[in-house]
Amino acid sequence: MGCDVVTVSTDTQFVHLAWQRDEKELANVKYPMGSDPTANLCKLFGVYDEKTGLALRGTFIINPEGVLFNAEVNWYNIGRNIDELLRKFKANVYVARKTNEVCPSKWKDEGDKTLVNPGAKMVGKVHEALRS
Amino acid sequence: MSECCGGVKLGQRVPDFEFTTYEPTKGEFGKFSLAEQAKNKRWTILFFYPADFTFV
Repeated sequence: MGCDVVTVSTDTQFVHLAWQRDEKELANVKYPMGSDPTANLCKLFGVYDEKTGLALRGTFIINPEGVLFNAEVNWYNIGRNIDELLRKFKANVYVARKTNEVCPSKWKDEGDKTLVNPGAKMVGKVHEALRS
Repeated sequence: MSECCGGVKLGQRVPDFEFTTYEPTKGEFGKFSLAEQAKNKRWTILFFYPADFTFV
């Protein structure tokens, strides 16, 4: 399933260019770097900090039909776990296809244990369902 | 700060948006649009951060 990662800050595209060329840590960047100087997009997703004019560390997963399925917002001083982002993305793609399954917290990738048709019969029996 | 996390809700259709990008692989400026993503049947991960030239 195809996916595009795009970063967004309130900097202009000119600053993105300068930063990407200047900072060696960004030498291998492949993703487009989005520019939102009006902060309209930041406001749409609720990550705009009016005190600073900056975007908080928000991550949003949107399906091909444009529906938002995952949101995570971190304060300035906490970085994001990319393994967890990838896990959540894969899980969203998986359950979009297998609509009668759910991915438990320990699910990492296709082939890992899921819960199938969670319903009345599974109430109080999740332990057995996870370990069967 | 007025409304952190008060934006689009999970399960909601995100209104179409478009913004200008810098494309490091081409060394050029471009456009990103949600409508275009829908047309190409592609998922999107939006990754906001405070500012360039900081320790992202």
